[in-house]
Amino acid sequence: MLRIEKTKEETTDILHLIGEVDASNSVLLDQSIQEVVQQGTSFLLIDGKELGYISSAGLGVFMSYLDDFSERGIRFAIFGLNDQVGEVFKILGLDRLISIVPDKSTAIASQHES
Amino acid sequence: MIKTTSLPLGRISLLMAILIWLALVLVDLVRIFGMINNLDSGISEEVTWILEILFFFFVYLVYRHVFWKNRQADFLTLIWRGVSTGLFAAGAGLLTELIYFALGESKIGTDPFLKNIFYHINFAWTSAFLISTAFLWKHLILYQKNKAVVKQWQVFELSMLGALFFVFFNHNNFDYSFLFGLVILLVVSILLAVNLKWIPYLNFKEKWKTLLFLFLILVCSGILFYRVLAYGNEVKLQINLTDNLFIIALFGFVFAYGLFSFLVTLFNLPTSSVFEQKLTEAINFQKLSQSIKHEENEEQVLDILLDSCMSASYSDCAWIELNPKEQIQLKNSHRFLDQPTQKAIASLIFQENKSWAFNASTEQIQSIRVNHPVYKSALHIPLVINKSILARIVLIKEVKEGFNKEMMSIIGTFARQACISVENHRLLNQAIANERYQEELKIAQRVQKALLPIKLDHPDSFQISAYSNTADEVGGDYYDTYQVDANHFVVIMGDVSGKGTSAAFHMAQMKGVFQSLIQLGLKPAEFMKKANAALSKCLERNHFITASIFEIDTASHTFCHARAGHIPTLWYKANEKSAEFISIEGLGLGIVRNPSYQNHVHEKTYDYQAGDLLVLLTDGILEGRNEKGEQFGYDRLKNLVEAKHQLSPPTLQQEIIDSLHQFVGGDGMIDDDYSLLVVKFTQPD
Repeated sequence: MLRIEKTKEETTDILHLIGEVDASNSVLLDQSIQEVVQQGTSFLLIDGKELGYISSAGLGVFMSYLDDFSERGIRFAIFGLNDQVGEVFKILGLDRLISIVPDKSTAIASQHES
Repeated sequence: MIKTTSLPLGRISLLMAILIWLALVLVDLVRIFGMINNLDSGISEEVTWILEILFFFFVYLVYRHVFWKNRQADFLTLIWRGVSTGLFAAGAGLLTELIYFALGESKIGTDPFLKNIFYHINFAWTSAFLISTAFLWKHLILYQKNKAVVKQWQVFELSMLGALFFVFFNHNNFDYSFLFGLVILLVVSILLAVNLKWIPYLNFKEKWKTLLFLFLILVCSGILFYRVLAYGNEVKLQINLTDNLFIIALFGFVFAYGLFSFLVTLFNLPTSSVFEQKLTEAINFQKLSQSIKHEENEEQVLDILLDSCMSASYSDCAWIELNPKEQIQLKNSHRFLDQPTQKAIASLIFQENKSWAFNASTEQIQSIRVNHPVYKSALHIPLVINKSILARIVLIKEVKEGFNKEMMSIIGTFARQACISVENHRLLNQAIANERYQEELKIAQRVQKALLPIKLDHPDSFQISAYSNTADEVGGDYYDTYQVDANHFVVIMGDVSGKGTSAAFHMAQMKGVFQSLIQLGLKPAEFMKKANAALSKCLERNHFITASIFEIDTASHTFCHARAGHIPTLWYKANEKSAEFISIEGLGLGIVRNPSYQNHVHEKTYDYQAGDLLVLLTDGILEGRNEKGEQFGYDRLKNLVEAKHQLSPPTLQQEIIDSLHQFVGGDGMIDDDYSLLVVKFTQPD
């Protein structure tokens, strides 16, 4: 069960993931990111506050866009992950490649810093 | 029942009937001789009656046999038999009349003996005709039998049996008891005569033939009855065989049923086409519902449907149009219609009716007015399968408003049945395809099982046990061992992201890469770098692999470990009596697909003690969830291993799997491949 809500704050696109990402619905996540990337964005934020679980297929979706983001100069961050989901990113080592921050304000602040 | 092969019962009965008839003639002639000459012939009239009854009985047996043999024949054949017997009997009677007319008042013409012989011949033919026709009527009455009709018939047969012996009681007098018996038998006959259910099954032509035959039977029985009466009135001094209740009641029965059948058939003539139509519809319906069983394809079903719809609605022409999305082709899509006319009508209908499109949601049969010089009304029948329109049939008539409610409802039934047939056909094909797919998967499963090692390399200084289970038929988990030299052993575990077939293919690639690199004697971090480089070339962009590798040196009691995004390994330390997950940084394989990966992987060497345990696992174990949605998690595993550390690897492994299943319970789920590998270091020799 996964619901994705899209919001836009100034130049920041936010994808709000609600539910769980697994092999059966990772395509939805892929489509949503694809759309945002094609519409042209400079900063993509994933709101993971209500993300209960992510399987390796879901991680694979994020992973497959990393090169895309750096080529197009899109800044990408995930915030609000619960401990369990955060741990999954950490174990795989994705926390080294993706900026994973506690909350939205940190994420937006980190953008202005750079 | 009668066995015709072992005993020719029919012939024996016929022979007996003839012999008894001869005896009857002889006895009666002797009696007449006695009567004329006022002599006592010494033969009482009872002998005549007994012989007569016996004669009836054997004629009955003869016809019973005949009808048993022909029980499958159709109505017309059977009725024709009755007619032919009647014509013979009546013919014989008329011939006798003619002979006596020719003889006039000559001596031979008034000879009582000759007259009696002729009388006996006529009697025999009349009896044969009556009994055979009675059998014919029985066959027709009991054509659609139910309990009540069978009962009625049995009552009739029993009363006829009574009538047979009535002569002993009545002594051949025409008195009130005779009339009483006759009335009862006639009432029963008339009650039976309403069972005419065979008539609607005749088609129009057969009905005409039946009318003719019934008419002939009525005429024959009329002639014969007249002759019986005439004989009774004419001759005084004779033996009377035919003023018998049995014969007269049979006449009544034969005549009554014949008359009823004749009239009902006559009045059925105008409506017979309706019944024929209904029968055709029923047969069409059956054809449609059985069409798939006979391995017919979808085109044939649609073909039958088009014909059925046309015949049900008396359409002048019709066509069937397939949804362009459908794969099938129809050879014969137009009936009594050429392409230009069809196009013209189609465009006319489109003007009239805007919902005329394959993507329209209409599933209703619609009657449409057409403004064409020849064709005035059309019926549009969409064929809907799974909410999408498979095809549409258009029936055309030259009259206005040519489709009534009944036609539309029967056509609707046909259309639904055809759709069900087509749908079943598709489902069946799908099921077959699925079956084949399942077979293929089973083979894949067997092949994949073979990719995991059966025997794990290990020295006496550690024990090892491994287990792997897949969520689907095939999965993406992998483990292996390799002995580098006398003191160096490599243990590895890997997990492809995702599950199922795609994961299984990547797992096979992983095994190839690992088995090649393992030969090179690389240190763990170097091994991961090379593996990342190799797998980056063959993994899909959104797939990655996690892996853990241990190089165990049994001489120095150390192991060197590197982790590439894999679930940390649980290490039970015997001297501390506690377990911990080995935390070491490391990125999964295939995530960074360039040489910078070397910054993301590290190795570290650890000392181990005898009694220490290493539990390698994949995320499927930790992510097993119970009905509350809680995961099995790190802590449960850690506590379990600490509590059960003294067990041997296979037992401990089983313990972990059991407690995972217990945790997950019946309603929970392990929706991923899960694997476990336990290493236990033992005391050095």
